[in-house]
Amino acid sequence: MKLPIADAATVRAYAVHLLRAHRRPLTGIAVLHTFAAVLGLAGPWLLGRLVDAVADGTTTGYVNSLVALGAGAVLGQTVLTRFAQRSSMLFGEMVFADLREEFIETVTSLPLSTVERAGTGDLVARTTNDVNKLQNAVRFGVPRVIVAIVTITLTVVACVVLSPLVAIAMFVGVPVMLVVVRWYLRRATPAYLRESAAYATLNGTITESVEGARTVDALRMGPRREARVEDDLREAFDAERVTLNLRTALFPGVDFAFTAAPVAVLLWGGWLVSQGHVTLGVVATIVLYTYQVSGPVWDLIFWLDEIQVAGTSLARIVGIRLVEPDREAREGTPTDEDVSARSLRYAYREGHDVLHGIDLDLRSGERLAVVGPSGAGKSTLGRMLAGIHPPTGGTVSVGGVPLVDLPLEELRGHVALVTQEHHVFVGTVADNLRLADPDASQEALRRALEAVDAWGWVAALPEALATEIGSGGAPLTPAQAQQIALARLVLLDPHTLVLDEATSLLDPRAARHLERSLNGVLAGRTVVAIAHRLHTAHDADRVAVVDGGLITEIGPHDELVAAGGDYAALWRSWQHES
Amino acid sequence: MSVPARNVERVRSLPLADPGTPPLTGPVAYLLWQARRQWGILTVGVLLGILMFSCQAALPYVTGYAIDSGLAHGFDSDLWRAAGALAVLGVISAAASAIGHRYDVENWLRASFAASQLVGHRVARSGHTITAELPTGEVVSAVANDALRIGEIFHTAARFIGSIVAYGIAAFVMLRTSVPLGLIVVLGLPTVTICIAALVKPLQRRQVAQREASGRLTTLGSDTVSGLRILRGIGGEGVFTARYREQSQLVRRKGEAVAVTQSWLDALQVLLPGAFVVVLIWYGAHLAVAGEITPGQLVQAYGFAAFLAWPVQQMTYTVQSATRAHVGAGKVLNVLRVVPATGARPGTQAPPPPGVPLVDETSGVTVRPGLVSALVSADPDESAAIATRMGRFDDEAEVATPVRLGGVLLADLDKQVVRERILLAEATPHLFSGTLASELDVHGPGDAERLLRAIALADAHDVLDSVPDGLAGEMPEKGRSLSGGQRQRVALARALLLDPEILLLVEPTSAVDAHTEARIAARLAGERHGRATLVVTASPLVLDHVDEVQLLVDGRVVATGTHAELLARQDAHGAAYRRVVERHLDDETPPQGVPAVVTRPVDVTGDDPIADEAFDALLDGQPAGTHETRGGRP
Repeated sequence: MKLPIADAATVRAYAVHLLRAHRRPLTGIAVLHTFAAVLGLAGPWLLGRLVDAVADGTTTGYVNSLVALGAGAVLGQTVLTRFAQRSSMLFGEMVFADLREEFIETVTSLPLSTVERAGTGDLVARTTNDVNKLQNAVRFGVPRVIVAIVTITLTVVACVVLSPLVAIAMFVGVPVMLVVVRWYLRRATPAYLRESAAYATLNGTITESVEGARTVDALRMGPRREARVEDDLREAFDAERVTLNLRTALFPGVDFAFTAAPVAVLLWGGWLVSQGHVTLGVVATIVLYTYQVSGPVWDLIFWLDEIQVAGTSLARIVGIRLVEPDREAREGTPTDEDVSARSLRYAYREGHDVLHGIDLDLRSGERLAVVGPSGAGKSTLGRMLAGIHPPTGGTVSVGGVPLVDLPLEELRGHVALVTQEHHVFVGTVADNLRLADPDASQEALRRALEAVDAWGWVAALPEALATEIGSGGAPLTPAQAQQIALARLVLLDPHTLVLDEATSLLDPRAARHLERSLNGVLAGRTVVAIAHRLHTAHDADRVAVVDGGLITEIGPHDELVAAGGDYAALWRSWQHES
Repeated sequence: MSVPARNVERVRSLPLADPGTPPLTGPVAYLLWQARRQWGILTVGVLLGILMFSCQAALPYVTGYAIDSGLAHGFDSDLWRAAGALAVLGVISAAASAIGHRYDVENWLRASFAASQLVGHRVARSGHTITAELPTGEVVSAVANDALRIGEIFHTAARFIGSIVAYGIAAFVMLRTSVPLGLIVVLGLPTVTICIAALVKPLQRRQVAQREASGRLTTLGSDTVSGLRILRGIGGEGVFTARYREQSQLVRRKGEAVAVTQSWLDALQVLLPGAFVVVLIWYGAHLAVAGEITPGQLVQAYGFAAFLAWPVQQMTYTVQSATRAHVGAGKVLNVLRVVPATGARPGTQAPPPPGVPLVDETSGVTVRPGLVSALVSADPDESAAIATRMGRFDDEAEVATPVRLGGVLLADLDKQVVRERILLAEATPHLFSGTLASELDVHGPGDAERLLRAIALADAHDVLDSVPDGLAGEMPEKGRSLSGGQRQRVALARALLLDPEILLLVEPTSAVDAHTEARIAARLAGERHGRATLVVTASPLVLDHVDEVQLLVDGRVVATGTHAELLARQDAHGAAYRRVVERHLDDETPPQGVPAVVTRPVDVTGDDPIADEAFDALLDGQPAGTHETRGGRP
């Protein structure tokens, strides 16, 4: 299942909403930048006045006062720039912090079924890559765009105010520039995305080659891996060539406008001067303005490009908000702790049922082993019984209440799914345990760890429960990580556990420890174990054989063997051979 | 693309077939070697850079000239000439800029692609040595970052040299106009640049602090999301969002510290060049009033001062990128210097004829031609290690444990020969991204019939069904979404398709369920019937199908026979064998109610049979009906 990506309209609406919400600080920032930009226009204007003054003959006093005015403008612009930049960057920091915090909040409240099915890869990518890609655009891009727009607007206004007649000439190249920039921006985003995707693929190929180095060696895959690198580079090159071609059109298009403007202003202005309509100083000022405005224009194009690319990351971030909740808590209190399934159906894709109407009653405290060939629907059944996915047909209920009608906090107290996945979070041992019960006392934590036979090594850690573990903290063995996961289950205390491939990285010596740990968790609970090994089935209270999305046989081991079905056949061959 | 075709053609297609053999002596030697390899395009790029910067440098000069002529003669041919010159310079500059950019990019791509290619080749040929010597992240970074940094210096070279030329032109023109004015421009601007560069230091410090905090935030975010299934399964989301928020606010504060410093720097970037221009204009205006320079020359001085900031920036940037390229080349060389642990030297012995035995002298394990054997040991690590060295994976470490193929030491053979004749399929095989067909049939034609047969042999139909486009489809999430058992079966199919003379399989079915294992065992023995094969396993389902079983005790083969024979033996070896293979139904239970310790080979992929066993074993040991005393419940 893929996580949604927001469409352009949704992203735009979100951005507008964001800007609206901060209208006041934005206005303040724009005002400060406006004043700074006005003072930044002083240089060429003063120079024009000087040209006129010198041409007409003047005194050093007048020159000095003009230059003093210029010095004042520089000082003023310095101070204003400092405050304008400061407030706009602080603004960027604030908006970006809000954005990422809101995102994490949305992610952590995603529906259970979405999290379980989407895999973590895409979500991690959105949390890291996309948030980071957005960073530059929000922190620096937005302020720079404001500065660029204000500066460009004011420079144009200044030219028009000085002499509308002369200023007309500076726009001579603008239509061409607008067409080219528009053409470029329309094509740039997909082209740059292709480029970064190509490099990501290349990095992925190298990562695979390194991680699978042994297999590459054993299977003589060296030349294949080299060819793969070459293919990736070829794709990167093709992508680079597309963006290069785009820029090859963009650069001259913009350069043309900035070449044509001073030439046109000089000729048109020169003629106007000869007719006595304007002074030469005014023409000189406007020529210098046309040079000066090229910086902000390039800046604007660059940041529009960046912001466009960042927009695709924003689409993925906003996309998370579009996930619909998979359940709604309803009224109803379970009357007992018996879990049962009625005509249970499930389809990952419409029309392709994985489960075809399963009826199952779990008896309180029993061990049920689920066996069957790969792909028969064992894991899907397990997830249904744990309330992860709302069934597409039928119900799974506890004490008469459907699992998916229970509020999540309550569901967790009834059934838990234990998979091969275990994750040690960055934080202290206590942090890791308190996930299951935020109010657990130190004593409760200790008891939970004792129950899984882990108190010994936790107590021996430098700061016991307060020791930092997880990425960057004290390293844990896989067995210890699994024990932490099991201690959480003890704290969570569900009456029913579903074990699905609950395997981990353990060496044989650690296995005995894990057995004891599990003892502490399973004792007295109803357990559904999806089993790989037949001896599990042998000793369970009941065995369910799942095949083709149905329970084909169910009952105690001995009965099934006596019945002479599939299970009996398998069992006989197993026993005969060992 | 509305780009002239000739420009497109000018960029030669990359990557080049042969990236060349660089000197491994040092970063400078490497960079110079690369420069020599692309000297042609590098020269063209530099010439275009010089042309572009020269045109730009001439613009203020011509503008000043135009003002003077307009002043002196009004609207006449001089003004036309000046405007014409501006237009021509602009057009040449724009063309040189666009074409030059193409050369700059090609220079960049050539150098960085060559580095990536060299790293890619080294990685493909180094075997596991690369992982032993360098962290994966560093190798990937050599391509993801360092190669690009090497490219960058070739990209900036043209603009660097162009900048120097432009600076020279401006200095020459200004000094000719007025020596003091020229000196203000020529010396003033670098001084301003140096002042600003000095102020960059504290900014960089704060940026580093911000990046570190931000890196931690990213880690926290990815940590939370990686464990999201657990969080959503058992709770604790609130705790984690609060933690994230806290760190996020810390990052914000660090970012604000950067912003404050940055805003001062921005202000100074207004103040210092501004002050410089004020001094320049003040002095120039007095010269103009005194009649020593023309008003046009005053405009020129202003224009040069504004223009020169650009080349000076370019030069600073080039110094930075040269430093980065030097570091990057060093990192790339670290990868290129890795020497593979196997086959660093060519073979010294002629390969023996086919149909000879493969013998591990230390343990006595023998893979006989025409026989499917199994190797059983109480210590699965030991038997796996023997199988591994029979495939030759570390020449230096294996000197003490000679392995001979038809009497010839494996270490004396050419590595290629060893790999072609002997295939070791390990318990933790790596699956690569790609279409199912090409990843399964590594050296074969990949035709459907062959593939389907291998898939049937390895009972991997379910994997085929899970890939949307079947054989031509990409494995989802690079095979990461496959379960341990599925991965193992795909790898088995891949090994069988290679059809080697001698096949060594380590625990091929450890993560597979009993139903499937029973089917695979029979088909595997049938497929390899009459071919030299060694299976390291302890599963009775597999052992029953092999021709011969070798029992390993304390590193030596102590007994050989069929599964049934070994089971029936009434001596110590028979007992040892039964202990290993019959543990599944062993009734021996330790006093505390925990079943006998389970020993199964360790599978480090995460789909571990041991834990499976442990869970299962525990279920065995747990009598039902104890729910009144549910653990952990009040």
